[in-house]
Amino acid sequence: MQHLQLILTYLRHNLMSAMAYRGAFFLQIVGMILNNAMFLFFWWVLFSRIPVIRGWDLSQVLLLFAVVATGFGIANAVFGNALRLARIIATGQLDYYLSLPADPLLHVLVSRMSLSAWGDIVFGVSLFLLASGLAVVKLPLFFFLGLASAMVYVAFAVLVGSLAFWIGNAEHLANQVLISLITLAIYPVDVFPSAVRLLLYTLIPAAFVGAIPAGILTGFSWSQVLLLLIVVPLMVLGARLVFNLGLRRYSSGNLIVTRG
Amino acid sequence: MAIFMAVFMALWSTAFKTSGSDVISGFSFRMMIWYLIMTETVVLSTSRIFLDISESVKSGELAYSLVRPISYPILQVMQSLGNSLPRFLTNLITGVAVVWPILGAVAGSFEGLCAFLVLAFLGLLLDALIALLIGLTAFWIEDVTPVSWIYQKLLFTVGGMFVPLDLFPAWLRSIVDYLPFRLIVYAPAKMFVAFSLGSFCAALLQVCIYVVVFSVVLLAVWQAAKRRMVIQGG
Repeated sequence: MQHLQLILTYLRHNLMSAMAYRGAFFLQIVGMILNNAMFLFFWWVLFSRIPVIRGWDLSQVLLLFAVVATGFGIANAVFGNALRLARIIATGQLDYYLSLPADPLLHVLVSRMSLSAWGDIVFGVSLFLLASGLAVVKLPLFFFLGLASAMVYVAFAVLVGSLAFWIGNAEHLANQVLISLITLAIYPVDVFPSAVRLLLYTLIPAAFVGAIPAGILTGFSWSQVLLLLIVVPLMVLGARLVFNLGLRRYSSGNLIVTRG
Repeated sequence: MAIFMAVFMALWSTAFKTSGSDVISGFSFRMMIWYLIMTETVVLSTSRIFLDISESVKSGELAYSLVRPISYPILQVMQSLGNSLPRFLTNLITGVAVVWPILGAVAGSFEGLCAFLVLAFLGLLLDALIALLIGLTAFWIEDVTPVSWIYQKLLFTVGGMFVPLDLFPAWLRSIVDYLPFRLIVYAPAKMFVAFSLGSFCAALLQVCIYVVVFSVVLLAVWQAAKRRMVIQGG
């Protein structure tokens, strides 16, 4: 309950701070929407030549992209520091959070909000409505799946970011792995050879970010929902465990951090 | 680059198998992958000066370069090329090293390679001019990043980075053929995998015309920018 309050308070605070420079905020949103829209162009051209690829057609790929974009957007809007965890740890900026009563991991994650992430959310929701034929009744399910996708992304980001506790300068590695996760998530998982597909269900959980939630949208199945409900909390707990293990090894950076 | 190539090789191999034919719009699988390597090489080498220019505009540092004997736009274009060309070579070597062992053969010719190098150089010159123009818009709009995003995305889409323009629907093709973006990305790469003297000369002529046009526009914008700078700074 306390955790939820922390998240909501920071969300409100970050939004207010973003709205102080309204023009720049909206420009970021519009820019990101255009950015994402251009990617759809590629799929449109490809599917106009080859209507179905390994059981995937254009509307399914659009739904996949909608879920991943929304999940990525929610992850970066609410937990904006997820991508920067390795750098925060390595530069000793963690000290500020350790000296406060709130849970350090959660506090670090919610302290920042990515403005362009809202563009991803708007884009994702709009794309979902377009690709599903304005299936407004499915919106709650879509948000649930977007949230699940976001949690997988954040958990994975915390996991790779925590590597900084052991190897110090893990920022570049963490960035590359996270970019790979999203890159692999937005392509239909069935085009990959089976060895790669195994990877996407395990070490780099791109399937849980994209394919499985999208699959539930196109063809609802309780077993898939159950799979998500089991795997996602496990990932979140696992990430927290790794972070806490790393925290035990952490010694202060002696950096004086002031926060406005 | 490696992840991108891996994903697209898997994607195109599946696409070709699904379509049931060895050739899609005149491209074989091998040609498609080599085309992608070439477009990636060019796109990864495009200019990044718009950020430096917009920073120096906002900080006022640009004023100091007015005193120098060399013209600012020419300096920036040369600087951009000086940055692009080494990256181009590195990207080309990396890309070839990744793909050649996997594919086993090169879907290109020696003339194609020469044509590719000439057109890529001119394409990067055109790109530098456009990047400089984008950077100079900082005089009018504070943040140039949305403009640069849009330009970059136009290069990706109608420039033909992911998909050769031959696959575009005919109506789109007729519009896109007149835009400069395809000359930076599609034209050099296509020349490598499918060289044709006629197309090469046509592309060469077009890119030269665009270079001249953009240079003229750039000079005009630079004059307007200088006037604006004097009014504000003094």
